[in-house]
Amino acid sequence: MHSKREWAWGYLLIAPMALGLAVFYLWPIAQTLYLSMTESGVFGGYTWVGTANFAELFGDEEMYGTLGNTMLYSVLVLAGVPLSIVVAALLNVPGLRGLSVYRTLYFLPVVTMPAAIGLTWSYLFNGEFGAINHLLGTIGIDGPYWLGDERFAIYAIAIVGIWSSIGYNAVLFLAGLQGIPRHFYEAAEIDGAGRMRQFFSITLPLLTPTTFFVIVITMINALQVFDLVYLMVDAGSPALAGSRTIVYLFYQTGFVQNQRGMAAAIAVILLALILVLTAIQFRLQKKWVHYE
Amino acid sequence: MSKPRTWPAHVILAAGALVMLAPFAWQLIVSLQTLPDSLRVPPKFTPSWQWSNFVDVFRSVPLGRQFLNTVVVTAAVTAGQLLLCSLAAFAFARLRFPGRGILFMAFLAVLMVPGELFLIPRYEIMTGLGWLNTLQALIAPGVFGAFGTFLLRQFFMSLPKELDEAASIDGANPWQIYWHILLPLVRPGLLALGLLTVMWSWSSLLWPLVVNTDPEMMTLSAGLASLRGQFLTNYPILFAGSIVASLPVIVLFVVMQRQLIAGIAFTGSKG
Amino acid sequence: MRFRLTLAVLTALTAACGSSGTAGSSGDPSGSGKATISYAIWDKNDQASAEKIIAAFQQANPNVTVKLEITPWDQYWTKLQTAASGGAAPDVFWMNSLNVRMYAKGGILAPLDESKTQGLTPAVVDGYRYDGKLYGLPHNVGIPALWYDKKIFDDAGVAYPTADWTWDDVKTAAKKLTDPSKKQFGILAHMWDQGAFYPTMYQAGGEVISADGKKSGFDNPASIQGLEFWTSMIQEKVAPVAEVYADTDSITLFQSGKYGMFYGGAWLAATFAANPEVAERIDLVALPKGPAKEAVILLGLANAVSAKSEHPKEAAAFAEFVASEPAQKILADAGGGALSLREGTQDGWFKAFPNFHLKETYDASLPYGVPYPVSLNTAQWQDVQNKLLAEAWAGKRPVADVAKEIAAQMNEILAKE
Repeated sequence: MHSKREWAWGYLLIAPMALGLAVFYLWPIAQTLYLSMTESGVFGGYTWVGTANFAELFGDEEMYGTLGNTMLYSVLVLAGVPLSIVVAALLNVPGLRGLSVYRTLYFLPVVTMPAAIGLTWSYLFNGEFGAINHLLGTIGIDGPYWLGDERFAIYAIAIVGIWSSIGYNAVLFLAGLQGIPRHFYEAAEIDGAGRMRQFFSITLPLLTPTTFFVIVITMINALQVFDLVYLMVDAGSPALAGSRTIVYLFYQTGFVQNQRGMAAAIAVILLALILVLTAIQFRLQKKWVHYE
Repeated sequence: MSKPRTWPAHVILAAGALVMLAPFAWQLIVSLQTLPDSLRVPPKFTPSWQWSNFVDVFRSVPLGRQFLNTVVVTAAVTAGQLLLCSLAAFAFARLRFPGRGILFMAFLAVLMVPGELFLIPRYEIMTGLGWLNTLQALIAPGVFGAFGTFLLRQFFMSLPKELDEAASIDGANPWQIYWHILLPLVRPGLLALGLLTVMWSWSSLLWPLVVNTDPEMMTLSAGLASLRGQFLTNYPILFAGSIVASLPVIVLFVVMQRQLIAGIAFTGSKG
Repeated sequence: MRFRLTLAVLTALTAACGSSGTAGSSGDPSGSGKATISYAIWDKNDQASAEKIIAAFQQANPNVTVKLEITPWDQYWTKLQTAASGGAAPDVFWMNSLNVRMYAKGGILAPLDESKTQGLTPAVVDGYRYDGKLYGLPHNVGIPALWYDKKIFDDAGVAYPTADWTWDDVKTAAKKLTDPSKKQFGILAHMWDQGAFYPTMYQAGGEVISADGKKSGFDNPASIQGLEFWTSMIQEKVAPVAEVYADTDSITLFQSGKYGMFYGGAWLAATFAANPEVAERIDLVALPKGPAKEAVILLGLANAVSAKSEHPKEAAAFAEFVASEPAQKILADAGGGALSLREGTQDGWFKAFPNFHLKETYDASLPYGVPYPVSLNTAQWQDVQNKLLAEAWAGKRPVADVAKEIAAQMNEILAKE
């Protein structure tokens, strides 16, 4: 194909999506960039302040605290991705009885109301009568106040984060598994490779395009965690210092404290951070992702 | 072929399923409790078989109308996403053009900022269009998305290059390659994206709640949210409503998962 | 391909919904004199009374239709901020004294007629003034009170609290009611501003913010004493440690029957009454007296009118109607969470909860009402206050240190206003 014609086709095919994203997403982001350089209340009255908001944020200990909490949460949730692969692989075992029932059960967290998720996990993590501490008690461990102690809250929240992502990720991995041609397994079978060998030498490598996608998306989402913290940690809780995340700070600053300029600056820092980490991921993918 | 042992898989899956099920089960139990039972401290873990909650929720919110709204919005958003995302994904994965990398990163950037940022600018657009309190206000922003573009790009990229080359030699243009050759091969990806889009659109809360104020123009999740009180929430009725609202998505999943696992992939084409 | 077929069907569907979904415009092009105004509130539990009030208003004003919109608390302010920024705030909407100045300064609110506040408790009305003008007509009042568990008092042989209790009475009783063997505590010491540590700061003779709103009162020794009232009870183990309230909210804890006393809103009457086992076991009394004086923070919600309303007259008339005697009676008689503000209209509410001594609590509290302390952007320094006080409550830092740091940071914020 002539390259000029290929260019034209490329632009033509992405044009509808690009226009929509520009109007509904990129334009608001551009506004945010401008706002981050202003001091503004909620309702207009913008004063240009240059980089003052950023200077204030970088001089604020709390900002680093929330960055630390956010990073810790993200690492924990990323560590849960292998679990989703194992679940998806098990849910894909041919000939396993009751599989469609399992698949449905693993999908349930995706459709459960957030309020019910928050309530149930709060009961499970409850320091006094929670099931988790009850279990720990039977093996002689005196469990902490998971959601009330700043040292533990972020771990408890990450467990819920992993829990709720398994359903989504399993759907994605199941789709990815279908893209692996059968004949590879048939060939391995003839060579006498066991199930474990097949999993490591065929499934995992050929699943890498999906795995890469899931890792990037999980990271992007984890760095923006807010709902779970808001749902599970009270505004005046002593655990908040250990579980405030960047988006929590963004929400608090913009929608509770009514400082739109400062909130925009927080969002810009978050955008820059995620952009850099994502670009690194895209660089590194060449080393481990197998496309055809 | 020897019959593989399946019980270890059963043990692991069953234990996990129990944990996955817990909050949904709790929602189900509470939806069948009386209000006083749902308020007990420590909580009561058995239902009191108050089936009338499922009737009451229909009286509290216009569920029928909101159900219809949700179906229309979800269907339109999902169809739009599948078409637009797959087009853009195909271009990013299979065609070469200057600025491709930068454009793709710009696409991804929309995933990297908190969703609340989009509220005010979008609201202004909708006010300008006179679309407040309409269904198109819910559909328009929803059909565009970077998640689906990225997901399908991954699926397109894992297809063999020879497919396009062969078709190109036969004189097919990119549209024909996209529509006739590659799109059928990324079916698992389309199914996964379709399922997740249905689910997101079905349960999206903040935007429908902000842009539409008329209960008749709201979606199910936004309508149900208004059942929450500041100091006292009737959880039995709220959860009953939530279960009614999530049933269609669960049914859809049960139906779609067979398709998802059908495993046709591109075995046939590659032979 | 099936895909193509579905797409065609969907396009048809979208087109269909496009034509049916016309915007509910509140304009009045026909000039018939009819007006539709929107009324936004956040509490589902007030829906029934609001609908009755609307019906009464519409009967008196047949040309006006009021549409009720309920947005839950968690999304209410986000939505209001978005709509107001886009120039489309509801005609009439609930406002609290934390946000009123911000919205008034932003030009979102229309000033209201000062003369309509007659008969409304001044401590509540004062919260809605900004720059000498009134920006909200309050319609309810929240009174913090001392709730107590009669069963725990009976079992320990301690006399029930009375309206003339002092801090010392609270502390003595808390000690007697505490029983570690039963995991039972005398009192809950959750970190709560309106009903707990703000009142005790005033009761000790301190203040949260100076009368002109320019200076923090947290470093005042009396204010610190008011804060120590709470932390000392945690240290003496007559109240659970801070982590406990974070784990389970204090309203739920109190209902579990393991805690003797609880500073909580009188508005919880409706919440507690929904749980019959709890309702028959508990009662309430006005807040105990501090070393300097009696004080109780009164906070009420108001109806504000949008400055951009297309029907400013009708909107203002509706806001005024909600604060009027007939509407206030309807609110009280509904027996929901909210207590009407206008004096002489509350009997219906008191009678709705015969188990509780609400009237006595109201009568004993009202004379000592103090307005909720606010400045232009209250939420900003409250965030500092909550963050730092959490450290004192958790016993990580002495109260006096923390209070001084709050004062310093708060003064910085106030200086910028």
